Amino acid sequence: MSNLNADETVVVVRDVCKEFHRDQLTIPVLSGINLELSTGDYLALMGPSGSGKTTLLNLIAGLDRPTSGDVIVCGQNLGQSSEGELSKWRSRHVGFIFQMYNLIPVLTAYENVELPLTLTSLSRRDRDDHVKAALEVVGLQDRMDHYPRQLSGGQEQRVAIARAIVTDPTLLVADEPTGDLDAKSAAEILDLMHRLNTEKEFRKTIVMVTHDPNAADRARRILHLEKGLLVSEVTDNRTRATVQ
Amino acid sequence: MKTFKYIWRNIRRNPIRSLLTIMSVGFSLALMTVLYGFLESQETRKNSAAQANRIVVMNIQGFSGRLPISCVDEVRSTKFVAAAVPFAWFGGSYQDEQMPFAQFATDPESVFDVWPEYTIPPEQLEAFKTNRQGCVLDRRIAERRGWKVGDRVPLKGAIYPFDLDLEISGIFDSPKNTDSLYFHWDYLNEGLRQQDYANIDNSGTIFARISSPDSIPTVIKSIDDKYGSSDTPTRSQTEAAFFQMFVDMLGNVQVLIRNIGLAVVFSLSLVTANSMAMAMRERVTEIAVLKAIGFPRSRVLFMVLGEACTIAMLGGFLGVGMGCLFLQGMNRLMPQFFPFTVMEMLGPWIGYGLIAAAVLGLISGIVPAIRAAQMSVIDGLRRIA
Repeated sequence: MSNLNADETVVVVRDVCKEFHRDQLTIPVLSGINLELSTGDYLALMGPSGSGKTTLLNLIAGLDRPTSGDVIVCGQNLGQSSEGELSKWRSRHVGFIFQMYNLIPVLTAYENVELPLTLTSLSRRDRDDHVKAALEVVGLQDRMDHYPRQLSGGQEQRVAIARAIVTDPTLLVADEPTGDLDAKSAAEILDLMHRLNTEKEFRKTIVMVTHDPNAADRARRILHLEKGLLVSEVTDNRTRATVQ
Repeated sequence: MKTFKYIWRNIRRNPIRSLLTIMSVGFSLALMTVLYGFLESQETRKNSAAQANRIVVMNIQGFSGRLPISCVDEVRSTKFVAAAVPFAWFGGSYQDEQMPFAQFATDPESVFDVWPEYTIPPEQLEAFKTNRQGCVLDRRIAERRGWKVGDRVPLKGAIYPFDLDLEISGIFDSPKNTDSLYFHWDYLNEGLRQQDYANIDNSGTIFARISSPDSIPTVIKSIDDKYGSSDTPTRSQTEAAFFQMFVDMLGNVQVLIRNIGLAVVFSLSLVTANSMAMAMRERVTEIAVLKAIGFPRSRVLFMVLGEACTIAMLGGFLGVGMGCLFLQGMNRLMPQFFPFTVMEMLGPWIGYGLIAAAVLGLISGIVPAIRAAQMSVIDGLRRIA
């Protein structure tokens, strides 16, 4: 299902700074971040609250633009894209997984998964094929007519993952995907994400924000941020300081 | 999944709030529909009268003033007058019903010459002319009450100290509902004479048909000049002006009703806007999610506006529908006040009412829709983080 070749660079973050403005105050959140991710990378962003990990995730996902520097994802320089271009780009290249699942409560599991496909020109039959395939991947094809309130937290998150992969995006971004789940459900979700990352059929590049060391251990790379700086990186169990 | 399906599911998300909003729009538009229907029925009556070459002669003091029966023949003999009849309001009650329909004492020989657009079978007209206690009535009254020729209609006098015992001699057809019954003026006058009633030989008003519309001003001037210095000076006017007089009696009420209508629409837009704003506030995160997965601003705008318009239009259909049903009921129950059919009374208002509902939806939805479309995804997602 993957669109890119193996080892192709998917994400380039170059000298990125991000500041927020509140009233008269300028609050620096990220300072001089550099990062590259290739197809099939699985990155965990860790750090204390306020360290800038969700901000970095939002920049990579095209939800926000950097104050300075470049964020190039799937060949698109996101900092130079308009709001409309970013919307279109996100619908093609990014799948979102949220801590609170964020399913639409008035839609069934099937309709929630179908939602991103309504932005495409696919026929109804093709949409149906895609939705059922995505629900099968997450093992919920027998719950497609259930509403979110009729599902457990773990099942809701699996529906959210099906929604994230239904358009076959290159990049999956997950913000605390196990933060609201019990240990067993969390493990199931992490297994599922591992499958999406490692199985040749999917080969999704994943960027995950987490506070959970167990979740981070599933990633190939772990970046620690503190006060907007990358302070260390763990790759294949080897730690190196990356204070910039 | 189509957008409208999503809109519809959102409307059903909080059914009580949606229902209350729909009903508030519906009841207000129903009220406006009824009020406009009543005003339009007055206009319709006036406009239909404007097409006829008829004048109405009455005492200058109004309905309370006398107009001797001798004036009828004098009016008839006026140049350009084709036909004239006395036309006295009886206003009797039928059984327990007060003012069940309009009743007029008139001249059976000429009444259908003054209103040639009314049709009646010749034998029934002849029977009416020859039967002193005979009467003719609008077919709509006969059908509503199941009356037929030969039935008796007792009417108890409310203005006059005399009760009528009428027999239906004929049933006439008219282009628009007159809701009227005509009987012999002589029968009433004779009865009043027997009761020693003071105000006898009074024609009430005189309706006259003029041979050509160009002659109407001449005839009016001629009649009013003739009686100007008599004991019973007259005020003559066209039939249209006569009905306009009733419309004018409403005076500022008419303006008031229309302004109240506008105020109701404005306040409704605030109610609906508040309801939409509440709905959007509850859905900030969902909207952020939709935008995150790629829904463009235009689509978010359309979805919110679509929801507001759907709610308002449902209220519009409910309101205009209820208003129409009410007016139809009034047309059946109180045709003397609502003599026309719903279409005759409302006509284009049905369309205007629905357009007003759509505009209401747009006005109430535009601010929440713009706010939703312009909302930052990150701020929206942060609400639950």
